[in-house]
Amino acid sequence: MSEKKKGGFFQAIKEFAYGVAAHDSARFALKTRASMEHLFILITMGDMLGVPILPPYYSLRLLPYVVPQISTWKRRMLREKDLTDALA
Amino acid sequence: MNSVYVLILGFIIAILGYRVYAKYIDSKVMKADSKRATPATMYMDGVEFMPTNKNILFGYQFKSIAGAAPIIGPIIAIQWGWLPALIWILGGALFIGWVQDYSSAMIAMRSDGASFGGLSHKLISPRARIILLSFIYFYLLLIAGAFGNVVVSTAIGLKASPMAWLFLTIGGILAGQMIYRWKKDIILTTVVTVLIAMSGIWLGTIAPSNAIVGDALSNSRPLWAIVAFVFCYFAAVLPIWRFALPINYVASYIVFLGLLFGIVGIFVLHPDFTLPAYTDFSIKIGPLWPIMFVTIACGAISGWHSIVSSSGTARQLENELDARPVGGGVMFVEMMLALFALIIAGTLYASPAEYGAAIAKGPGGVFAAGVSKFLGVLGMPADIGRAYGSVMMIVLAITIMQLVIRFMRISTSELLGDISPIFKNAHVGTVVASLLGITVVLTGWWQYLWVLFGGANQLMASLALMLVTAYLMSEGKSYAWAFYPMIFMFITTIAALLFTSYNLLSKVLSGAVTGEALIGNTLMGVVGFFLVIAAIILGIEGFKAFNRYKKLRLAAKPASA
Repeated sequence: MSEKKKGGFFQAIKEFAYGVAAHDSARFALKTRASMEHLFILITMGDMLGVPILPPYYSLRLLPYVVPQISTWKRRMLREKDLTDALA
Repeated sequence: MNSVYVLILGFIIAILGYRVYAKYIDSKVMKADSKRATPATMYMDGVEFMPTNKNILFGYQFKSIAGAAPIIGPIIAIQWGWLPALIWILGGALFIGWVQDYSSAMIAMRSDGASFGGLSHKLISPRARIILLSFIYFYLLLIAGAFGNVVVSTAIGLKASPMAWLFLTIGGILAGQMIYRWKKDIILTTVVTVLIAMSGIWLGTIAPSNAIVGDALSNSRPLWAIVAFVFCYFAAVLPIWRFALPINYVASYIVFLGLLFGIVGIFVLHPDFTLPAYTDFSIKIGPLWPIMFVTIACGAISGWHSIVSSSGTARQLENELDARPVGGGVMFVEMMLALFALIIAGTLYASPAEYGAAIAKGPGGVFAAGVSKFLGVLGMPADIGRAYGSVMMIVLAITIMQLVIRFMRISTSELLGDISPIFKNAHVGTVVASLLGITVVLTGWWQYLWVLFGGANQLMASLALMLVTAYLMSEGKSYAWAFYPMIFMFITTIAALLFTSYNLLSKVLSGAVTGEALIGNTLMGVVGFFLVIAAIILGIEGFKAFNRYKKLRLAAKPASA
């Protein structure tokens, strides 16, 4: 979605239609998946944020699988959120 | 005056605003830079922070801000005459509307994608954050009430609409199932479900609600209010992909096809305005200033847009230069939507008396009759056109309503969850929000409710502009372009809310209202006063922050020789 696309008027119309009809659906689907993933990481890697839930032995065994997502996960968990985040 | 001239005038204002004023602010004041990394690129998480193409974001922003309000506002406000409404729509969008939408996105983008709570804490004061968020809760209650009223009055006034609404719901649920569960092709899904929804419009004309449930039930306000909130209940508690989003997806085709062909119909028919250009300064709802300026909210300026711009769009802009087309450009498109509604109301009826009789039943009927007229030019039968217009109105209102109830469910659990764990339950939170909404819908007079909603909405806009002004001052940038619109909106909306709340509560205190109206007047009056008090406290905090920034700037200047 982010890469520059060369296209004329019809491409722009197509993208606009996607934005109107489906972009929000895609975002919410991603949000739902991310919430589940982040909850899972919190349970398994809560130690990193000072919330020890799982014994460290199991956390360490799972660590290699979680490494690529740790920075994003930490940022999302620690970012200030308010009620308006639920709206858009 | 001919309606085509109004559309042409709208195009000229949109081009001037976008190409000249917005471009100047974007390049000279905000100094948008395509090389500066946006939060979407810096903090990309593939979910909320996601660099997105500007055309897609244009569609997303338009879909998020274009609800029923830009249509209903002008239809009601034409009671003062079409000229004041036209001037406010054009002037409001040109000097205030786009400024707010664009700058809300820009300041959130320049503040690492922070939302309004965080921005008010950082730019104004810690107290400002709490007050702003409580303000937003009651503001959303008024949205639920005002839009719920539109749904109820449309369902009663146009008997074909409930069947169309039912089929839209069936089509939407099926779309969710086909896309997410059965993994069907999106084009096939779209064709099947939109056809189902369209067939509901046709079925509604041959099986109207009074033929199915009888005259008494089809005219029952409590019944349709409960139906509307049960619909919102499902939207709030079911997974969003199963109910709310696919219904919105199918509905968007109905709405945009209707609008597109409606505008074509205006050009083909090019009718003259039949209602007077100006009636009187003071009418039944109230005086032209301040009440008309809050009656037409979206279309001229709306606080809702600032929430979408800051919490949604700002985190997806891949380039700073895209903020002008997405934040500002969409506002001008919505201005055209408001002009479309103004033309419908102003050209449809032969006399003010005919219009008065129609508007007394609610704005949905006026809009549906207009859609029917303009689609009729393209060959659509009048009764199907009216059913089409009515379902458009219901769709525009209910899509925002279901989002608002879902949001109120979340905020109820956050605000009251510490008092009792029962409020953390999704069903309890939704029922609390729905009961509050139903009470407002059933007990309030819809025109006052609309004015209160508009007042809260515009007040939200002035608070957003206050944040923008504080940001500009903190950065040492020119701020007059946001400051003066903020002052105008702040004074106007406080006056409108005070006027309406005083009217409502004076009737209660003098004993002029009893029964349902007593509850409605008291509730709406108290909510109105609460919003005014919250806004005044925020205003004081804001001005303290402005003074702080001014002193900082003076202190930073080197002493003259």
